[in-house]
Amino acid sequence: MSALSIDPVLGWRLWHVRLHGDEYRLESFTWHHVSWPPKRRFEATCTLHREAAPVAGHECGIYAFTTRALAEDLLRRYTGIRHRYGREYRELPPVRRGRPIALGSVSLWGRILAREKGFRAQYAYPYELHLIGGDDRIAHELRDRYAVDVSS
Amino acid sequence: MDIGVPETEREIEITPLEEPVPAPAPVEAPTEEPAPA
Repeated sequence: MSALSIDPVLGWRLWHVRLHGDEYRLESFTWHHVSWPPKRRFEATCTLHREAAPVAGHECGIYAFTTRALAEDLLRRYTGIRHRYGREYRELPPVRRGRPIALGSVSLWGRILAREKGFRAQYAYPYELHLIGGDDRIAHELRDRYAVDVSS
Repeated sequence: MDIGVPETEREIEITPLEEPVPAPAPVEAPTEEPAPA
């Protein structure tokens, strides 16, 4: 049986910030070219379970960590190659120029499967972002597009 | 993303009174240019 609540869960995660046409958009960190829609909730889908995601016993859903530190740990091990992570650096690594990354908090709601270090959620929307490897112009653009606070 | 082992998983159902998605900006009504006197 699941616990019921009306307050969204706040998780932490990373996004790539990439150009879609002439617009900078948040994009999934682990799935290539999966863009988060501005001013609309992002909905989990699964090739197997479709809109029923996230499903217990599977790995589908929108992922987020419980803490900022865990999201930073992932960034420290980021090599720039999808699904390949290296050793953990003590400092956050320099992001390649023109390849900005957003670190931030994210509201999660709907059906959520919680583990000890994070969540798999049905719905999500960014709450607050910190832009790494970008500039003020991109931060301003993301702030306008997603209507959330963006620091850089 | 390593969020922990599946054995620790528990289900939560969140139904917010209002979804935490910003409302689209209201469309401003066009203002008429003042007619020249």
